Formats: sequence, C-alpha cells, structure tokens
Amino acid sequence: MNQTPQTTQSTEHLDPHHLDPDKLSAFIDGELPPAEQQGIERHLTGCHACTLRVLSATQLKAATARAGHRFAPPPEALTRLTAQLRSQTQTQPQLQAETKRTARIYSMPSLRPAAWAALAAAILLTVSLLAWRQLHQTSTLATELLDQHLATLSTGAAPQVISTDRHTVKPWFQGRLPFSFNLPDATALPPDTTLKGADLTYLNGQPAALLLFTIHKHEVSVFLTQRATGPTLTTLPGTRAGFTLQTATTPDLHIIAVSDVNPADLDLLVASLVHAQSLA
Amino acid sequence: MAVMFNSQCLPVYAVSLLPRNLRHTEALRTMSSATTRSADFEQLALPLFASLYNHAFWLTRNQAEAEDLVQETFSKALRAFDTFQTGTNFKAWIFRILRNTFLTTRTGIAASRTVFLEDHPDALDSAAADPTPEDTLIRLDNQAALHAALEQLQPSLREALLLCDVEEIKYKDIALILDVPIGTVMSRISRARRTLRQLLQPHLGESL
Repeated sequence: MNQTPQTTQSTEHLDPHHLDPDKLSAFIDGELPPAEQQGIERHLTGCHACTLRVLSATQLKAATARAGHRFAPPPEALTRLTAQLRSQTQTQPQLQAETKRTARIYSMPSLRPAAWAALAAAILLTVSLLAWRQLHQTSTLATELLDQHLATLSTGAAPQVISTDRHTVKPWFQGRLPFSFNLPDATALPPDTTLKGADLTYLNGQPAALLLFTIHKHEVSVFLTQRATGPTLTTLPGTRAGFTLQTATTPDLHIIAVSDVNPADLDLLVASLVHAQSLA
Repeated sequence: MAVMFNSQCLPVYAVSLLPRNLRHTEALRTMSSATTRSADFEQLALPLFASLYNHAFWLTRNQAEAEDLVQETFSKALRAFDTFQTGTNFKAWIFRILRNTFLTTRTGIAASRTVFLEDHPDALDSAAADPTPEDTLIRLDNQAALHAALEQLQPSLREALLLCDVEEIKYKDIALILDVPIGTVMSRISRARRTLRQLLQPHLGESL
C-alpha cells in the first residue's frame, strides 16, 4: 500500500481549495490581488496543511534573503567608484556646455556689429572660464595619476597581467580597450628597464592601459589613453609630491609616465614607447 | 566695455547684451545643473552600491568582473540619468542597466547562450512537486547548505529569486529588469523555491 501517501499528496495538489505552489509563492511575496490574498487568508484559518506550507515557505524566503546577501565589495571599491564618477562628472558638463554654445553661435547669422563685440566678450569670458576649468581638471588628473601610481606601489597589489614579455601584455588588452598600442621589445627598452605587467584602469572615466615598469628598481606607471577621448595634458604639472610626470602624445595616444626615478631615465622610457608606436 | 554693462544705454546695446548674458549664465547653469544632477544621482545610486555588487557577483561569479560590471553600470546610469523618470523605481532602473551591461560581457554572452527549460513547464520533471507539509518544516539555520543549493539553481531562476528575496523588488519591476512577462517572473520564483526545497531534501530531519 505504498501508493496511498502519493495518492493523498496528488489529490491535495489537485484540490482547488488548497494553494498551488505558484499561488503560495506569490502569496508570501504579497503579490496577489487583495481579494485573492484575503481569500487565501480565510482558507488558512481552517487548513492546517496549507498553514504549515506557508510558514515553511516564509522561513525559506527569510533564509534565502540572508544567504543571498553574500558578497561584500572590497573596501576600496567604493573609493574607486566615486573617483570614477567625479571624473566623469567633470568631463560631462564641459562637453554639454560646448555643444550648446556651438549651436547658439551657428544660429545667430544676422547680428549687428555691436552684437559681435558682445559675442567677442562672451567668447573671451567662456574661453577664460574653460581655461580655468581645464587647469582645475588637469590638477585633478595629476592627483588621479598619482593616486593610481601610489596604489601600484602598495604591497600585494599584483598586476592583472604579469609579464616581462610584450607578446603577453599586448594581447591581454585585446577586447579590454577600445584602442590598440605597440610595446617595445625588451631589447628596445632603455638599460635596466623592465616591463613587470599591466592593468586595465580608468583615467577621467575613460579606459586606459596601465603599464608597470621598473627602472633601476624604481617603480614606473605608464598610462596609455586614446588621444581622441583622453584628457588634455598641456597644463599637467611636471612634478607632483616629489614624483615626475612625463607626458607624450602620438597621433593616436596620450602617454603619461609617473615615477620617482630621475627624469632623464623616465624620458628615455617614454621616448622608447613613442618610438614603438611609429613602428606600427 | 563698461558701457555695455550699463542698463541705460541704447536699445541696440540692450538687445546685443542678451546673447552674451544668456550664453555666460547658460554655461554656468549647464555646469551647475550637471553638478546638481550628478549629486542627485549619487544620492540615489551610492546607497545601492553594495546591493549591486552582490548581485553582480552572483551574475559573474568573479570579484574583478563584478567590480568592473558595477563601475560600468554606474557610468552608464550617470550618462543616462536624464532619461530616468523621477517618481519611478530607481532601484529597478539601475538593476536593469546592470543586467543589460552584464549581458554584453563575455560571461554574460556565454550565459545567455545557455538554454534552460524552466520556462517550458511541459518539459519539467514531475519530481518538482511540493513535498508533503510535514516535510517542509525544515530548519534553515545552516547557511552552507542553502549556499550550496543556491549555487546549484539555474541562473535564470536564481536571478529572479534573488531580486525578489534579497533585493525585495516587486514582481512588476523584476519583469522590467529581466525583460520578461510578469507571469514568467512568478513561475521562475515559484520554481526556484521548489528546486531549493528539493536540493535541501537530503538535509531534512537534521539540524540544517
């Protein structure tokens, strides 16, 4: 008579008065229309079996909520995120302001000479405003560069790709960056300069390749960004907090190197990277 | 130039002043409104950081990927914040962006190629029926057993269940996030719970 319990169970499921699993699930989530919700509540007052099932389902829901809260972000992740948002906010309004300004200028074809004088004054004001903003922005950029360089110096911060071989590092960036670049061969690097590895990072909210070199045991961070979308480098300070910031530009890339090594050695490394781009 | 700032000057000057003033103040307004907008965004979005990260980890199963995914989600959401309608559910809006962003990642593309049968009830095995009420009063204080069971759930069932139980999002908003009808949300959640129960069956009777 093994079949008896099964029969009981299946008839219970077919019984229109009892809760079907989908209804039960929606009931404990408070997702049923009020009339249906109340109907079930009435049923529960007289049905021991369904009350047990609702109780059990509620327990499982609570346990799932606890178990699902499982993965906490690393402590520094929020800092990284807010830094990214701030830099993104700084680049956005400037772009918007520029777009609107351009549109307005083109929509004023019949201004009188006096108006042109006013326009010139406005342009002057805008340009100085933009210059001030750019200065402010590049100062933020210098801080961002230095912060990222210091982060690579901290112990235990292993690069995402570890290699002394350009043939490993370059392919690693494929599909991770919206641009490509060349790396000099080990023999083309200045003396006592080694490529340790690389990270994918963000500068000014744009993806960037971060190459990690050592020169005479000094750590060097080299950031490669796309020139079209990258930050303006002209007003970047040459040094900051004792670190040298060396920049270079190729037709496609901005190259920014940060290190405490002597500036002449840093120049050589940047020059070798610039040269490698021309070999494409 | 000083005369141009004088409001007593000829009408032509007054007219000509207009574009300059407008342009200058507009530039400032654009910047300040963008700053306010970004502050509004941060106020709404940053408290959800831990939730988004947790959900991103469940989707990607990888710490670095989860962080990248959340970063990209925030970046996209900030850019698209103008399209967010005040008064609608921000949490659902940003979780939808998270999910859509995930679907464009390598892991997401691979996951979306995997076809599960959960939305085809005919193909389900009959063993998924509810256990008897006496079996169902299980003690769920053993997190490890439940973790293991959650790990084994089909991703699409787990995703719906987590949005409901962990994130406490309503079915209609889950439907928006997952881009499926509300009935599918209901059946996925129900099936996820039945599957969890099945997976926890071996632990019934013991102190879980």
